[in-house]
Amino acid sequence: MGVTLIIVVILIAIALFAVTTFNRIIGLENRVANAWSQIDVQLKKRNDLIPNLVETVKGYATHEKGVFEEVARSRQAMMNAQGIAESAQAANMLEGALGRLFAIAENYPQLRASENFQVLQEELSSVENKIAYARQFYNDAVLQYNNAIETIPGVLFAGPMNKKSQVHLEIPETERTAPKVSFS
Amino acid sequence: MSSAAQKFPTTISLSGQRINLLAWQARNRRNSVLLGLGVFALLALIAYLAAIALSPENAFLFVAIALLVGGVQNGVAYWFGDQIALNVSGARPANIEEHRYLVNVTEAVAIGAGVPMPKLYVIDSPAPNAFATGRNPEHGSIAVTTGLLKLLDRQELEGVIAHEMSHIKNYDMLMMSMIAATIGALVILRDVIWRSRRYGNPGFGGSNRRRDSNDQNGNAQMIAMLILFILLILAPIFATLLRYAISRKREFLADATAVYITRNPEGMASALERLRDYRGEELKVSEGVQHLFFTNPVRNLNAESLMATHPPLEERIRRIRQLF
Repeated sequence: MGVTLIIVVILIAIALFAVTTFNRIIGLENRVANAWSQIDVQLKKRNDLIPNLVETVKGYATHEKGVFEEVARSRQAMMNAQGIAESAQAANMLEGALGRLFAIAENYPQLRASENFQVLQEELSSVENKIAYARQFYNDAVLQYNNAIETIPGVLFAGPMNKKSQVHLEIPETERTAPKVSFS
Repeated sequence: MSSAAQKFPTTISLSGQRINLLAWQARNRRNSVLLGLGVFALLALIAYLAAIALSPENAFLFVAIALLVGGVQNGVAYWFGDQIALNVSGARPANIEEHRYLVNVTEAVAIGAGVPMPKLYVIDSPAPNAFATGRNPEHGSIAVTTGLLKLLDRQELEGVIAHEMSHIKNYDMLMMSMIAATIGALVILRDVIWRSRRYGNPGFGGSNRRRDSNDQNGNAQMIAMLILFILLILAPIFATLLRYAISRKREFLADATAVYITRNPEGMASALERLRDYRGEELKVSEGVQHLFFTNPVRNLNAESLMATHPPLEERIRRIRQLF
């Protein structure tokens, strides 16, 4: 009687433990997916801002065709990108192109002074900022998920659940120095 | 920043101790619950002692009334505390057209902190300050003064917003307003008992003896009376000091969490420095909401004092620079 009770208690404890671990892994995995969708939302927002920005810059800087084409090309690549790795790569490319566009804008004082451009610049730099934060959150989520499935007890479940470690996003060097706008 | 962002430490060292930020947050939440229950239990104990000392027949009624008063006060603090704090501070809702910059910065920090976007409010005052309120992250609100928006650059503003978001995330506002409400109930109870002693029963415990048939009860009453009087005088004071001590400690945690969220100690430190160097008009807010603010609105308050709701700015700046 006593022995049976002990065995039953132990079995229940093990079952509870397994359920908690299983749920924890799934919860963290969902968090990673959610974190990615946060990035995705911001990347789309940025893509929507670009045509307007290019039009505005074109009005003042008519001779800079090369950059406009580069921006258009990487924007297209961004829209066609499939999956996390490809999107991340296209996003980095677009970031470089936009950086060059803003560098060119520096040479046109009238453009910089236009209110339309200033609003667009603020919107774009704030989207860049949100992307940076979303990436950071994504990496945090990945780190937690990876820790969970690579350490005991999670590692015992990861195999049977077919869960693999996920990859951190590389954050470009220029990230936090996105174009600054001063409001004074 | 590339790999630095991934390796940013969640373990920091504070006065020689290694501290894990996430564990600190978890411990904080647990302590909040324990402390809330503790102060509430103190309220019940005082009511019980009062019952024994004053009218043993009505002991149950006494405790019930005390807990009811405490419960109602806590309920009001829980459901309406945020609205009250916002109204008292003269905050008006921010609108996207006028405060696009603030909205953008807050959205970004919310994404980084992994919390829902809080409601934003603006206080028209040149004094740079901010506060957060709300019972949980789903009902969080952040208010900033127009002076803060003028004074700080983007990275500094991110630091302040992240600090306020940490308070929401750590359930600090909920905690502080609940403690304040329970202290309020304690004070009411104290005054009620005080008055009933003065006008109802003359003498110090002795008069109650006539109701009791045996001496043991009388002794118990005397002791209860003594403890009651000591508690009545000390409890609100201790509870208040405790509240200030917790408030100061949580400011440090919120600073550390903010740096963790923004991965930018410099933004936070230089925001604090700008606020330290501000010499303009002070923000006029009532004493009840002072502890909510980013820095203490009253500048000349002795920050070393036991009654300070915030640690000294110098100390906060020093810790941030030292920690990260």
